[in-house]
Amino acid sequence: MSQSDWRSNRPPAGGVQEIGRVAPRADAAAKVTGAERYAADYYPENYVWAGVKRAGVPHARIMGVDTASARALPGVVAVLTHKDIGGKNRLGIFEKDQPILADGVVRHCGDAVALAVAETKEALTAALAAIRVDCEPLAAVFAPEEALAAGAPIVHEGRGGGNLLLESEICFGKAREALAGCRHAVELTVELGWQEHAFLETQTGVAWQEADGSLTIVASTQTPFRDRLELAEALGLTLDRIRVTAPYLGGGFGGKDGVTVQGFLALAALHSGGRPVKIWYSREESILAGTKRHPATVTYRLGCDADGVFQALDCRLVFDTGAYASLGTEVFALALEHAGGPYRIANVAVHGKIVYTNNPVAGAFRGFGVPQAAAGIEQAVDELARVAGFDPLAMRRKNAVGCGDTTPTGVVIGRPAGLAECLAQVERHPLWRERQTWREGAPPFKRRGVGVAAVYHGMGFGPAVADYANAKLELTAEGRITVCAGVADMGQGNATTCLQIVSHALGQPYGDMELVLPDTARTLPSASSSASRTTFTYGNALIGAAGVLRERILARGALLLSFQLLAPVNAAEVDLLPGRIYHAPSGRSVPLKVIAGFMDAAERTATYSYTCPVNRQAIPTGGNLRLHGYPHRIFSYAVKLARVEVDTLTGEARVCDFLSCVEAGRVLNPQLYEQQLHGGAAQGLGYALFEDFAVSGGEIATGDLATYILPTALDVPDMETVSVAVSEDEGPFGMKGVGEVVIDGVLPAVANAVAEAAGVRVTKGTLTAEKILAALRAGGREATR
Amino acid sequence: MEVFFPRTLAELWPLKAANPESAVMAGGTDLLVRLRKTGERPPAIIALERLAELRRMSIEGGGLRIGAAVTIGELAASEIVRDALPALWQAAAALGSPPVRHGATVGGNMCTASPAGDTLPPLYVYGAAVAVAGAAGCRRLPIGDFILGPGRTSLAPGEIVTDIIVPLPTGGAFSAYYKVGKRRAMAIAVASLAVCIVRTADGAAGKVRLAWGSVGPTVISLPAVEAFLAGKRLAPDVLRQAGAMAAAAVLPIDDVRASAGYRRSLAGNLLLKLAALGDDEQEDGR
Repeated sequence: MSQSDWRSNRPPAGGVQEIGRVAPRADAAAKVTGAERYAADYYPENYVWAGVKRAGVPHARIMGVDTASARALPGVVAVLTHKDIGGKNRLGIFEKDQPILADGVVRHCGDAVALAVAETKEALTAALAAIRVDCEPLAAVFAPEEALAAGAPIVHEGRGGGNLLLESEICFGKAREALAGCRHAVELTVELGWQEHAFLETQTGVAWQEADGSLTIVASTQTPFRDRLELAEALGLTLDRIRVTAPYLGGGFGGKDGVTVQGFLALAALHSGGRPVKIWYSREESILAGTKRHPATVTYRLGCDADGVFQALDCRLVFDTGAYASLGTEVFALALEHAGGPYRIANVAVHGKIVYTNNPVAGAFRGFGVPQAAAGIEQAVDELARVAGFDPLAMRRKNAVGCGDTTPTGVVIGRPAGLAECLAQVERHPLWRERQTWREGAPPFKRRGVGVAAVYHGMGFGPAVADYANAKLELTAEGRITVCAGVADMGQGNATTCLQIVSHALGQPYGDMELVLPDTARTLPSASSSASRTTFTYGNALIGAAGVLRERILARGALLLSFQLLAPVNAAEVDLLPGRIYHAPSGRSVPLKVIAGFMDAAERTATYSYTCPVNRQAIPTGGNLRLHGYPHRIFSYAVKLARVEVDTLTGEARVCDFLSCVEAGRVLNPQLYEQQLHGGAAQGLGYALFEDFAVSGGEIATGDLATYILPTALDVPDMETVSVAVSEDEGPFGMKGVGEVVIDGVLPAVANAVAEAAGVRVTKGTLTAEKILAALRAGGREATR
Repeated sequence: MEVFFPRTLAELWPLKAANPESAVMAGGTDLLVRLRKTGERPPAIIALERLAELRRMSIEGGGLRIGAAVTIGELAASEIVRDALPALWQAAAALGSPPVRHGATVGGNMCTASPAGDTLPPLYVYGAAVAVAGAAGCRRLPIGDFILGPGRTSLAPGEIVTDIIVPLPTGGAFSAYYKVGKRRAMAIAVASLAVCIVRTADGAAGKVRLAWGSVGPTVISLPAVEAFLAGKRLAPDVLRQAGAMAAAAVLPIDDVRASAGYRRSLAGNLLLKLAALGDDEQEDGR
């Protein structure tokens, strides 16, 4: 298979794209015409299908797996179990607890027990049905409190700590005493459910062995470089024997942050008689086996003085990670760091636990723990404002953190922070200013409420794990620029931003550029597409690489000119213009193609390594969270406003207007930025009102998209966005990450609006019409005009 | 699997006879989902979409005859349906999404016989009849006799539904369809209510027909509630009383979409949607 056959690096059309302006998406034309090839679109010649036998029971000991009858079926190429795996058969980041194929114990219904490879999908289905798994059921646990009870069944036998994955505490001052002395205080418990990523492209990929026996994997993944590390260890291969490439993803949202199908692909390709293998989950399998947002129960006690100044916070957050840790400890650490919201509170006790159960596996999901924390603190703030008689927005302004302040969890904000400006913008916005008139205009049998929430979101991996990027640019022999985008683009548009940054930095038009998507063989090791850090980190590396390449081009150009002019030429007097260099004193130009011919291949390639600065602040508490990302250095800020109309007859809630006011540094591309704000708000509205993921006894009751309710275009209102573009000078062109702060706080903004409309707060899970009708009834407002 | 596309009913009957185990498909929006879910593989599919005889809509003797293979999208685009049968029109517009409405048919919604079928409650309140045909001949029966239970109809082997005949309500009748789903499109009704009310000269309700969806094994009619409302002005208090009667009488179940209790509440509360009608009348009277 030739490289050109499966690479995607069409040049985009267009001129020089400047930072701060709308640069057209490099992928737009190819995607809307169907020409772009996602991982799901790869059908290598002579490929075979791979598929997974799932456990179907939440907790069991595997007594035996009989593969003989499946193997004997026509069209079956291989049937594999953990015994066919050469390495450690363990995947994971910090807690390497997840087998590729179960070896001894099943820990959730979606656990993979065996892998079949077959000529056709029909033969694959028959093979999977013919695999006999002899299981002895084990007692199982489905809730954190059960899992922590004495004598509870243990999900990972022999693990120190039992079902408690991690427990931590962040304390400052004397929270409980201070609460007792507060003029006003509230207590609130909020239960949050799972959320399914529901990306359009389910987990998928292809893999094959090259002539030398090494593996090539094309996968829908956010983490090609980390996948390679994990796979090498789990399968007992050296890094140079594995190549991972990541075409554009059809959505990721954190659900492809780590290995999904890659282990199966690699294993299958090693046992397929040299034929390429393809795997592509059905929607049902995607929901069954994929990670979700962590369910959590958060209990908040918040108090203020007579002036509405927050005095004390005492909160407990309990997370259910399901059968495996995945990125649970990191999600948990970020939740705890953000537990107190973007406010100044002196007396704080944040306590948390994250617990194993036999439920579906929870992991990374856009927001990464902050949506759960924000759901707690932002509803507590509203309750406190109501009890104390303050305007909820004014109360937030009074307590908001700014540069130089300390967050509730002890982080000194040392970088520019635009929260106060966001709050001021929302306060001036007509959607807020005219709220009373709007509320009073509710039609018969409808009630209206307006809710806000303020949030912040730490960017990057924190102090322990290097947040690094290695950029690579090439001046091709034809004088074009090849931009290696080393971080996966899961739809957010960072590949386009890479081109825009290079176009701006080198002054070269889009039409003269080519894009190389992440590929462990062609792009350089870079960390994942995640944590609101993708463009920040890779962008900084790209700016560095562009500087190196510019200097080389100008130096070589000056040398060429000096031969032509028979006089020394100072490179500082040479300008880089689209397609050429220009020497003003002589009026001469040299095309880039000529300069490229004057350089050898190594010189034409510029690389630059960038690692994000971290917060080195010594914090005396929460020490065991440090390894998992606490504390952060740079935060983005946002305020969300929702206007919600509730039907008192049915409980149906309609979000009539939604405003996102975001401070995420300077804006590189206003269109991509707005798309993030819209997409994050829509996904947050799904989390708030629709996506009621149901699990009972470890089994998923909402296993398809007919029962798991995603919002449609009719359920999402026209949205308004306001950008507060404070420059973060450590970021490329002053930007900060925006991908996650856009979903944080959507749920509490909606919940605060619903609480105002219904008179009683819905605190258990998704705010479905059924629960809102019950709240209306409890508040005496059911079926009232 | 063989798929047949007969163009006339005359071509259809021998195909049905020759393939007794075949599945009949109109739009496929229910059948194909079911086949994927269950893994069933009928030996053949007989598609009705090219049968011109089943794709017509016409006014006949005070009623609208709707061919069984008329799509829901065609119903939603029909001016006659919009003007004369607004409850049916609203139900068509509320069913699925544009691509689903493009394929789904009236006859299919009838034969699937789901208590959540959106077109069914309106067809109950309009007193629709179902025309059924087989090789041996035709028969016509009221919708309430055609649908026997969830997924069960009185269709005999070899028969298909050819038309739905909907009597057009007299002028001045008010009809509407109220649906509660879990979102505003692509939603199966959690509960629904179709109403058709002929008003008397003094603004009170004359003849009242009501039919609830998704609150029992089939569409539910409650003659006692209809009788209670007949002759009364539809003031909120009256509607609340009727709602309490309805909530007590329906037979909902718990499922992944909603609890029985919530469905019961909706069955009653949805009647209060008619309070706006009372408002209009008051305004008219002033």
